[in-house]
Amino acid sequence: MRFEISRDALLKPLLAICGVVEKRQTLPILANVLIQIEGNRAIFTGTDLEIQLKTEITLNQSIDEPMELTLPARKLTDICRNLPDESLITFTLEKNRTVVRSGKSRFSLTQLPPQDFPSMDSVTGMTNFSISQASLKKLFEKTHFCMANQDVRYYLNGLLFETNGNKITCVATDGHRLALMSSEISDSLSEQQIIIPRKGVSELQRLLVDSDDGCEITLNNNFLQAKFDSTIFSAKLIDGRFPDYTRVIPDIDESNKIMEADREQLKQALIRTSVLSNEKYRGIRFLLNENRLSLTINNPEQEEAEEEVEVNYPYQEELEIGFNVSYLIDALNAFSDEKVLIRFTNSDSSCLILSKKEEGVKYVVMPMKL
Amino acid sequence: MTVPLIALIDLDAFFAQIEQYETPEYRGQPVIIGGKPGGRGVVSTASYEARIFGVHSAMPINMAHRLWPDGIYLRSDMAKYTEYSKRICEVLYNITPVVDQASVDEFYLDLSGMERLAGTPRELGLRCKELIKEQIGLTCSIGIGPNRLIAKLASEYRKPDGLTIVNSGQVQQFLDPLPLKALRGVGKKTLARIAKLNVTTVGQLRQRYTLIELQQAVGEQTGGSLYHQARGNYQARRVSHKSRKSISKETTFSADVSDQQQLKKTMQRLAFNVARSLRKKEFRGDVITIRVRLADFTTSTRQRKLSEPIDSDVDIARIGWELFELNGYKDKSLRLIGIGVVIADEKNTNDESEKTQMDLFSVPGMESKGAENEGDEVVTAIDEILNKFGEDSIRRGG
Repeated sequence: MRFEISRDALLKPLLAICGVVEKRQTLPILANVLIQIEGNRAIFTGTDLEIQLKTEITLNQSIDEPMELTLPARKLTDICRNLPDESLITFTLEKNRTVVRSGKSRFSLTQLPPQDFPSMDSVTGMTNFSISQASLKKLFEKTHFCMANQDVRYYLNGLLFETNGNKITCVATDGHRLALMSSEISDSLSEQQIIIPRKGVSELQRLLVDSDDGCEITLNNNFLQAKFDSTIFSAKLIDGRFPDYTRVIPDIDESNKIMEADREQLKQALIRTSVLSNEKYRGIRFLLNENRLSLTINNPEQEEAEEEVEVNYPYQEELEIGFNVSYLIDALNAFSDEKVLIRFTNSDSSCLILSKKEEGVKYVVMPMKL
Repeated sequence: MTVPLIALIDLDAFFAQIEQYETPEYRGQPVIIGGKPGGRGVVSTASYEARIFGVHSAMPINMAHRLWPDGIYLRSDMAKYTEYSKRICEVLYNITPVVDQASVDEFYLDLSGMERLAGTPRELGLRCKELIKEQIGLTCSIGIGPNRLIAKLASEYRKPDGLTIVNSGQVQQFLDPLPLKALRGVGKKTLARIAKLNVTTVGQLRQRYTLIELQQAVGEQTGGSLYHQARGNYQARRVSHKSRKSISKETTFSADVSDQQQLKKTMQRLAFNVARSLRKKEFRGDVITIRVRLADFTTSTRQRKLSEPIDSDVDIARIGWELFELNGYKDKSLRLIGIGVVIADEKNTNDESEKTQMDLFSVPGMESKGAENEGDEVVTAIDEILNKFGEDSIRRGG
């Protein structure tokens, strides 16, 4: 039994699958990609048991008899990657092995039984809706970096995905800072909160493209499924309750002090001063006076960095507050607007970072005591 | 300069002797500590009476039982033995302030420079034996020599209730006739490798082989160790300062278990004990480890490093179970399951960033814990009950 695929057609699904396949697997078959050939369709599946990616391509030929095989994903990808462009690859199935040939190259790969390949059941949902790939990608891009990593509060090691009416809200927090973005969609949805695990968020974000093409989302209490292009992505959800984020977003209050700054200028100043920050604590001191922001950073070697930034801060009263400089740089990086607004309450309370043009995006950063 | 003088006090068949001391009917009887026959335990200590029949430590209980079915088989009571061990240590402080407990039943004493004050090495040794016999009721074997190696070998020279003194001038005379297996770190495997050297005593080994030859024959480390031991040189074992302490609990099932609920419950129960020990010592752990032995005896450990140290049994058990599921042990039949934590560095525990970086959710009235996550109050309450009513007074429900 044999079939042929061009290198270029094969590489795209394989690269996508490699993101899902864990480097260290618990079951040998999880290192493999499942390839199913039906007529002129080739379907590729990879999984780590938490997330699963299924993507298909069309073959130039039609195969009479359906075929199934599993091959080591990384090895196959590396072979494919290193073959010349536009080469044609022939797969010949033998007992327990598959021979991959192209031009004068020949690779004999171990093949594991396809019936052992664990497949996730297809997700039947309580909630179904459609959103453009670009919008979904943006929701992730603006928030993902605030997710916790290996936190004991396991429900923080993922992204809150909330549907309510025609609004979708994504929230990520590691307990020190929080990112939120809301987006409108045409469908009207019931109120639901799910937590997508870290890896699911980063893989999905990587696969989505900036296009208006739709992405069909199906949700239930345990799974999320996203269908787009010729891809079906499924993720097991984190079983936990996300903390009530609305309570930690500071109220917009008349007494707030608002600082408006040029985003790029402020970001560059933060990056420069951060060179001398304590690698672990990354503390930076903000001293705000009328229309002037002074940044100071010290490290344990008694070195010091200072920088002044012109800002719009129309208040007489001085305000001094400390932050983890990385949190601020991350937030400023995520905006695209020229200006940013930072709303302060006092030295011991969180600040709220906003931009006029990107209304749905909010960052909350807790201060540091320096 | 003072001549170094080290004594090793080694309690004779420690666990068995304690049981014999506490229960006079056991005296003179073969007492075997480690578990009841029929189980899967191994002998941890056999009394000298039992050793006559070939029973020795590390032998499976069932094998011991075949050798000597009429022996007195007792489960070990570590809490009791540790208590004795502590008391012995106290007694030894009466001899010298420099007591180094090497194990539950071995104590090194530095007697250097004490001869003029307290008497000859023999007098000091006899005094130790007398004190332990009078105040604790147990016998011990003592070896005294110029370093730890000689003290240890001397203590093994005459057992039980022995006292062997090797002066610095007599070291070689003492070592040379000893069989090679008396040396430290010489077990079955090394003995097999030494066999080709065609030597049987320490003296022959010393006279016939150079360091290089030995290292070529039995490997660099073992060769070096044998070479130095044969000359009576004590080399302190290199202790890695990086090594961190850990607390773990494990259990071997009487029959293999594959029931998920039972395994999960067992893990939760073990995690409860681990967390309790951790909190008692006021430690927190930042690496969670699990240990699993399958029905076919393959044993593996898996671990996860956490971003912050923890001490709650619920968290430890949850992460342990995640590791268990993640590593494909679901649907497997298990012989043993264990869970543990590596204690976080003190530095990390008092992490400055913890103090300085404020938390979004620790603002009063805002807990980051979801509804299903209990607060610290529950843990504190559990600890208070355990402290007041004893370690078995409360358990988590299913």
